[in-house]
Amino acid sequence: MSILRSELLRGTLDLLVLKTLILEPMHGWGIARRIRQLSDDVFDINQGSMYPALRRLQRKGWVTSEWRTTEHSRRARYYTITAAGQRQLSQEEEQWTASSSAVNRVLMLALVGS
Amino acid sequence: MSRFDGFVQKARETLARRHEEAELDEEMRFHLECETERLVAKGMSPDRARAEAERLLGKQERVREAVREESGFQALEQTLRDLRYAARGLRKSPSFTLAAVLTLGLGIGATTAIYSVVHGIILEPLPYPEPDRLIRFYQQNSPTNRWGLSVADYQAVEEQQREFESLAAMMGSAVTLTGRGRAERIEARRVTADWFRTIGVVPAEGRGFLRGEDRPGTERVVVLSHGFKERVFGPVANVLGVAITLDGQPHTIVGVLPPDRGTLAGYPAEVWPILQLETPTRRGPFFLRTVARLRPEASLDDARRDLAGISRRIFPIWADGFTDENAVLTPYSMREIIVGDVGSALFLLLGAVGGVLLIGIANVANLLLVRATAREREMALRTSLGASRGRLARQLLVESLLLAALGGTAGAVIALLGLEALISTNPGLPRLEEVGLDTGVLAFAAAVTLGAGLLFGLAPLLHAVSRDLAPSLRGGGRTSTGGAGWRRLRSTLVAGEFALAVPLLVGAVLLVSSVFRLQQVDPGYDPDNLISARVSLPPADYPSGAEVIQFWDEVLLRIEEIPGVVAAGVSTSLPPIGSGDTNNFDLMDRPVVSGASQPSVFWSWATPSFFAALQVPLLEGRLPNEEDGRSSPPVVVVSRSWADRYYPDEETLGKQLYAGGDTSTPITVVGVVGDVKFAGLDAMDDAAVYEPLVQAGFRSVNLLVRAEGDGTGLLERVSAEIEALDPGLPLAGVQTMSERLSTAVAEPRYWATLLGLFGGLGLLLAAVGIYGVLSYYVSRQSRDIGIRMALGADPAAVRRLVIRRGMVRAALGMGIGVGGALLLTRSLESLLFGISPSDPRTVVGVVLALGLVALVACYLPARRATRIDPMRTLVVE
Repeated sequence: MSILRSELLRGTLDLLVLKTLILEPMHGWGIARRIRQLSDDVFDINQGSMYPALRRLQRKGWVTSEWRTTEHSRRARYYTITAAGQRQLSQEEEQWTASSSAVNRVLMLALVGS
Repeated sequence: MSRFDGFVQKARETLARRHEEAELDEEMRFHLECETERLVAKGMSPDRARAEAERLLGKQERVREAVREESGFQALEQTLRDLRYAARGLRKSPSFTLAAVLTLGLGIGATTAIYSVVHGIILEPLPYPEPDRLIRFYQQNSPTNRWGLSVADYQAVEEQQREFESLAAMMGSAVTLTGRGRAERIEARRVTADWFRTIGVVPAEGRGFLRGEDRPGTERVVVLSHGFKERVFGPVANVLGVAITLDGQPHTIVGVLPPDRGTLAGYPAEVWPILQLETPTRRGPFFLRTVARLRPEASLDDARRDLAGISRRIFPIWADGFTDENAVLTPYSMREIIVGDVGSALFLLLGAVGGVLLIGIANVANLLLVRATAREREMALRTSLGASRGRLARQLLVESLLLAALGGTAGAVIALLGLEALISTNPGLPRLEEVGLDTGVLAFAAAVTLGAGLLFGLAPLLHAVSRDLAPSLRGGGRTSTGGAGWRRLRSTLVAGEFALAVPLLVGAVLLVSSVFRLQQVDPGYDPDNLISARVSLPPADYPSGAEVIQFWDEVLLRIEEIPGVVAAGVSTSLPPIGSGDTNNFDLMDRPVVSGASQPSVFWSWATPSFFAALQVPLLEGRLPNEEDGRSSPPVVVVSRSWADRYYPDEETLGKQLYAGGDTSTPITVVGVVGDVKFAGLDAMDDAAVYEPLVQAGFRSVNLLVRAEGDGTGLLERVSAEIEALDPGLPLAGVQTMSERLSTAVAEPRYWATLLGLFGGLGLLLAAVGIYGVLSYYVSRQSRDIGIRMALGADPAAVRRLVIRRGMVRAALGMGIGVGGALLLTRSLESLLFGISPSDPRTVVGVVLALGLVALVACYLPARRATRIDPMRTLVVE
């Protein structure tokens, strides 16, 4: 269980979802599972955040969805990142890197200063 | 992405929202199962795993809500963004915005104002409980000739009818109020006991009449209107049980009506005294008006059958005095009687303002097209920056709707002002006082606004989607002349404006020339320097005709001695809108066969001096004189039209007739006088019979005094002479005859003014619009023109070509318009006078005038186009 879960910003969640979908199309549970694994159980995203986010991304044209059959031959809705979504992802990644390194620098300097 | 993706997606969202939610549910179920399986794999029992998964994933409903919120938020946010963008765009071009908003405001405002009148008068049910069950019934012997009931008729209906829950009779008249200050003539309707119960009106104070109070010999009671009570007694007084004197008889006040009940069943009255009907001794006279309320399950047809049966049964009882077997009691819905034929005029007017509105919409559509052309580059830029076509279309639509909303707001203000003007100039339309901008009307205005926005919003939308915008970005804004659909739209706008303008103008011109013709009609008398007043002698002081005649003999002598008075006379009816008195008669030398309807003409009772006062010429024979008294053989004077109709090739003088179904006393025609318009200036039938007042001795008459000059101060002298003889006698309804004459044309003038106004507005909008549409159309061809000029074409020839293209479209529109006009103006017929609804001169005149507008609108831009250096046009391209 994560302390960060409630603080996960909407923009950040979008970024994580898009990043996850870069590798392959996935269904909602798979995305949540993958983010949880990759973040070492820090980000545990519940349905109440995941599905609104997916609708939002779909509406903006960054992901598309279709119903497919899973390996266990069950029907699930798979999300695929679009070209626009990929552009958006790289933009946001850049921004994230820039701002997080800036935050880090401030934190480091603050430590040095004290 | 195709340009319709945005729309399709939007449509799918709204139309298949339920489907979407079902999908979300399936998705969440899948999610839950995956989570459960994961926990089972970790070693949990399936039941515990499921419960744990449910706990971990949160409440399903909350997820649904969050998803819903997400889509709602998105849509709202985007709409707000579009609105802000649209507002910025409109602010950037204030003159365009002002022109569009004003055009729309006028169109929507006028349409709303007229619709509110249509709504209030025609669509809104009568303001009584279960108004559909209210009916009125009449004696009727032909589709156009109906009159009131006699006491014999009414009492028979009361006794025999089976389809009415209740019914009542009314006798309209004015009464003299005495004993409360100066004697006063007030509007009164005497009604039988069930009058208020039948209509469904409950007095605010006291009670209505009780059954039996309308029996002769019982105490006389009266119900007051709210206005009368406030005016005479003040707002706080308790008037119940108080007696007032009406026509010399005390009446006890038993009730006061609510404030909004000044008019009942279409009849205004200040007081409602009880009507006590005596048992009749003959069939006529027919002076009663009736109302009835149908039984809940009865229909108008049931009532028709029932009343027809009663008519058949009572006919033989009175057959010796009343021989018209065609006269049948006939019911009408009360609504039909009250609204009358105003309906067709109003719907016509609504059509006219609708035409003005459509012309306005076409104008705004054209303005938007011009604007869209100017913004091609902006649109192209936005497309290249990633805006989808659907998104651009959405923005254009939001802009159009914002424009419509502004126009609608302006329209509401204009409607409010317009309605005020419509009501304050009311020439006597029924129910106009009930009209207002209520929710129904506002809903209509909102719908019209939305419809207008969508309609003119289509133009820039078609423009945006029908073009490949890429060349616009590369080169100039005028590269192509657009796709085929796009060209069609422009042609449609040009033709449409003409098609709408023609019927509008034809209708307006027809009505206006009708009013002019009506004012040219010779009323048959000289209306100048002529004063009229109503006088009613109370029966208590003047019990028989002898006293009435004695009074008038004396008063008229005294009045004629006043310096400045030329002549003074009295009659029961005044032109040009008489009391509507008609009488049937039978010519002795050619009686109608038994059972057939006798001819019926306008009938008035007058003193001999009446003709001198009105200045109606005596053409043949003589006027009645002193020797034609009460006991001498009765005589009449007839109008020239009467003589021409019944004795076209014979001597009229000396012919004899029986009047009013009487068969005992023949009346002799002794004179023929000039025609007078008694039944309105537009009346076709001027046949009239004048009987000496002395033969009837009616108490309520009109006094007519002709003065030498304008008669200033004469009125005081006249009423002084009357007061000298009878101090309690008031003069009522004092009016000059020129005033009366102008009220006769008031209603036709009202319609003509309104339609003329809308026609003028339509012409203005159409002229501006036609100019705008055509000049835009021509300017779009400047490249074409430039090429021709560069190739050495003669400028005049090019101009002719351009003008011809525009004129072809204008002619097409006018052709459609003339067809529409000929179809539509037929419904004008009842409002027209002396002019045919398809009057060729009017139609040709309108077409020529509009053609001229079109020619100017084509010529000016064509000249501009040919004056431009062809090289410049092409280089810019």
